[in-house]
Amino acid sequence: MAIAKVAVIGSGVMGGAIAAHAANAGAEVVLLDIVPEGGRNRSALAEGAIERMLKTDPAPFMDRRFAKRIRTGNLDDHLNQLKDVDWIIEAVVEKLEIKQALYRKIEGVRRDGSIVSSNTSTIRLAALTEGLPERLRRDFLITHFFNPPRYMRLLELVAGPSTRRDAIEAINHFCDLSLGKGVIEANDTPGFIANRIGTFWIQVALNEALDSGLPIEEADAVLSRPFGIPKTGVFALMDLVGIDLMPLVGRSLYNAVKEGDAFRAIHREAEPVRRMIEGGLIGRKGKGGFYRLAEHDGKKVKEAIDLKSLAYAKARKPRLECVSVARKGGLPALFEHPEPAGGYAWRVMSRTLAYAAALVPEIAGSIQAVDDAMRLGYNWGQGPFELIDKIGPRWFAERLKADGQTVPSLVARAAESGGFYRVEAGRRVALAPTGSYRPIERPKGVLLLADLRLAAKPLLRNRSASLWDIGDGVAALEFHTKMNALDPDILGLMRQSIELIGAKHKALVIYNEGDNFSAGVNLGLALFAINLGAWPMLEDLVKQGQQTFAALRDAPFPVVGAPSGLALGGGCEVLLHCDAVQAHAESYIGLVETGVGLIPGWGGCRAMLARGLGKKGFGGAMPAISKVFETIGLAKVSRSAFEAMELGFLREGDGITANRDRLLSDAKARALALVPGYKPPPAPTFKLPGKTARVALAIAVKGMSITGKVTAHDQVVAKELAFVLSGGDTDTVDQTTDDSLAKLERAAFMRLLREPKTLARMEHTLDTGKPLRN
Amino acid sequence: MSEVCIAGYARSPFTFAHKGALIHTRPDDLGGIVVKALVARLGVDPTEIEDVIVGCAFPEGEQGFNVARLIGLLAGIPTSAAGATVNRFCGSSMQAIHIAAGAIRMGAGEAFVCAGIESMSRVPMGGFNPMPNPTLYETMPEVFMSMGETAEVLARKYQIRREEQEAFAVESHRKAAAASGGGKLKGEIVPIETEAGVVEVDGCIRPDTNAEKLKTLQPAFAADGTVTAGTSSPLTDGAAAVFVCSEDYAKKKGLKVLARVKSIAVAGCAPEVMGIGPVLATRKALARAGLQLTDMDLIEINEAFAVQVLACGRELGFDQTKMNLDGGAVALGHPLGATGARITGKAAQLLQREGKRYALATQCIGGGQGIATVLEAA
Repeated sequence: MAIAKVAVIGSGVMGGAIAAHAANAGAEVVLLDIVPEGGRNRSALAEGAIERMLKTDPAPFMDRRFAKRIRTGNLDDHLNQLKDVDWIIEAVVEKLEIKQALYRKIEGVRRDGSIVSSNTSTIRLAALTEGLPERLRRDFLITHFFNPPRYMRLLELVAGPSTRRDAIEAINHFCDLSLGKGVIEANDTPGFIANRIGTFWIQVALNEALDSGLPIEEADAVLSRPFGIPKTGVFALMDLVGIDLMPLVGRSLYNAVKEGDAFRAIHREAEPVRRMIEGGLIGRKGKGGFYRLAEHDGKKVKEAIDLKSLAYAKARKPRLECVSVARKGGLPALFEHPEPAGGYAWRVMSRTLAYAAALVPEIAGSIQAVDDAMRLGYNWGQGPFELIDKIGPRWFAERLKADGQTVPSLVARAAESGGFYRVEAGRRVALAPTGSYRPIERPKGVLLLADLRLAAKPLLRNRSASLWDIGDGVAALEFHTKMNALDPDILGLMRQSIELIGAKHKALVIYNEGDNFSAGVNLGLALFAINLGAWPMLEDLVKQGQQTFAALRDAPFPVVGAPSGLALGGGCEVLLHCDAVQAHAESYIGLVETGVGLIPGWGGCRAMLARGLGKKGFGGAMPAISKVFETIGLAKVSRSAFEAMELGFLREGDGITANRDRLLSDAKARALALVPGYKPPPAPTFKLPGKTARVALAIAVKGMSITGKVTAHDQVVAKELAFVLSGGDTDTVDQTTDDSLAKLERAAFMRLLREPKTLARMEHTLDTGKPLRN
Repeated sequence: MSEVCIAGYARSPFTFAHKGALIHTRPDDLGGIVVKALVARLGVDPTEIEDVIVGCAFPEGEQGFNVARLIGLLAGIPTSAAGATVNRFCGSSMQAIHIAAGAIRMGAGEAFVCAGIESMSRVPMGGFNPMPNPTLYETMPEVFMSMGETAEVLARKYQIRREEQEAFAVESHRKAAAASGGGKLKGEIVPIETEAGVVEVDGCIRPDTNAEKLKTLQPAFAADGTVTAGTSSPLTDGAAAVFVCSEDYAKKKGLKVLARVKSIAVAGCAPEVMGIGPVLATRKALARAGLQLTDMDLIEINEAFAVQVLACGRELGFDQTKMNLDGGAVALGHPLGATGARITGKAAQLLQREGKRYALATQCIGGGQGIATVLEAA
């Protein structure tokens, strides 16, 4: 059964954003809420949610226009709209009576075979469905989204004993392929998987910080980076989530777990937290939290709270030796370090990991499900079992024993056999609750370089990039520099790859498995060369990039770019030279060179212009020139693949993949589809108005300068950009070749490179990660 | 020699560009509907129409080809009538009236449709493919100055404070809201059918605007400027048309004449102070009519910017009580090519409604010009 029409009931933070994300997936959406008391507009809640979401940052919508896919209404007047909906999601207040009453109401209108799910995070399915008609029980499940639903990849799916298998599969399929979620089937247990472990972790981290007096900055520092956990650690995470939720979530879990559960032993309603909530210090949505941004003399200063006195002081950046020793000596060195933070980390993480180990198979059928849930739901770099493997299961078990903690049987088993995960015959296998190892199965359509790395050697490799054979005659080029920044080695491997593929393969996919496709050119390297005054070397690098990307475009086989995350500057230029792009929906693409006082030098200007000018025919060049000038000049970056299409970084025929794990497989399929009869595109030619276009652009820039929208150096950069986009000294009736435009591009780039203010921008961006407006 | 008369006036509602109710309506269709309604309301025989003259400031895209000819045909005017598109930027459709007036006085035709159109939603200001002359830009860059910048030049030159401009804008909205609310605009507006429903009222008027609200707006054209979106005419979609004929023709056909065209004039000025254009054109037109400004009972002056009207007022000494009785472009909107027909038609209509004798209609024009028409009640 295909899901085409979705309804969400409850337009609060979660309900609204789930509706928005369903709209992102292309579904027709109905969003209903109750009729507010006393208001004239009976649908004010749902309508207000849309308005609110259009202003929310990070944006719930991938494209503002998707808001139109949502029809808003209220439960009294518009319940009938549920009658032809495929999937009805309940996201109302966590009160059993209210939810059950709503289900009964829905039951009266929904069609046979439609699916109903709850977004509950605390109530078990057995309780939700108790006493409800059998028809509903068959169509009912829990779909637990994480906040914010567009960005957090975890979706916990809980089915009951009566739930139809095909209903589970339909939801799983839609959530995976259309919503891009990592769907984890969880058991019907309190808090399901991620929050069960996460709540325990947060509680024990708070307890230990209170008992040991460890400053919260140190607690967050030691609990984050060494474990691959986001730098928010525990306390800054609570500020984000809302401290007022802590006692509610804790109490709810306490009441729901069985007698003897380890959470019961550690659960506390800490006095300082109670006082903070009373004082409105509930985190970012309140007057402050464990941290706050205070203003001193007009400057914003980050402050941290003292858990004893509840007084704020300037937050310190802890320099922990225990963290440094862990880089070499691993996590055991961290745990054993005499600094208070070392012991703290042990007490928090050992209990959390042991708790997780003791919960399999109670909460989930496999250790991978638990690891996946913590990675996708809490953004941990590694899940609990992967972390134990990293620590060393034997060391971990022995230290637990030495501490007088219980060693969960699964940990004992892993300690005996050398870990939770192993590689057997080129495949990753995982320890099953039964004690044996089972291969990790990937769903059809999921292809990961991480798996391939275990089984094969790359076709080509240098320190910055590798080329892999991904089967069916397709090769995949990946970068592995920091932030996948482009450097001469990547360009070199690209050229080698083009040669190799031409002879032995049918197509190339350019794909990176990290968080970002590429943050652009390695600025540090460029800056170093500028400071040396190595101008010929720099010009050669520009030329090399131009030639390499042109070779990519002109290669005798199809090339498909597959971005996810950032694809900026040079990273964007790679994509602009591909035959097609298969982009992850969360692709943030842009030519941001002007931010550092430069213009795209590796063909970005030309490729964008060629796209803008489009097919030969009527119409002048100025609309395309103006649009490209604006997009590059203002360093516009798309906030989704859909926006990238509007900005012209993607073309209409390019594909968008919702699920990150399916990107490589989709890109490969796209590349193979291009193979039959493939001919490289001819190099573009241009008819450009030269000086006339520059005047038109100068008039626009002047207007922006009068209104204070551009700085003095912006105008210098804009002038060079205008020079390239106008075609230099040409006339509207003359033909300009791609090569001659490449020369202009290179010359303008080199002139800007010598500008002291460009240098200042580059240095500033490298130091602070932010643009300098000089 | 026969007198030149204005015997009818009609227009579409004026609505915001990019967000208003007429964004999906093609400007040639809009012009066709208004012209058709005007001809039908007057009951004239369309085979007697000599020419359809249509003003448009950016005659390209859907306003392109010879849009006047197309509008005539869309309006059901027979092929025997001719059609000419006129561009004098904001003065385009007043110029259309002037052309007809000249032809009538030459004995070159008796009945003319003089219209104006602009969809600022569908054809951008500046056009789709702007190609400014590089040589002229070097020697005289002010020719390509944005209109907002010229407004700031006037604000500085005449020391017109922001508060004064805002008080003017509030008054324009108040008058327009009163006229609209009092049903005084109903007679001139031709309802336009759109997919979303019939549009029959103006869309740009903000009846609840006040000095407090206007104070909060950012300067729109210069970081340290005084002119805001609230004291400028908004980008607008709209069309307007007047029926211009000889007095003999009107008598013969039993048409009710609204006004006679007493005199006409155009004048040039420096591009950077284009907003002062009405001063020179008005002086010329009054001299040609043998009249003084004090003889004018009604003044319709286009409000491209509040500051520009205030500057003209300083030079000419307008009596504010005679000016723009039903509000001006700051409130009603300014679809560039259509405005001239609106204010000339409006002035003629007001002479009848208010029972007055003389009216002045005048406008400033981008690039540095003014245009003026003096009317006398029939």
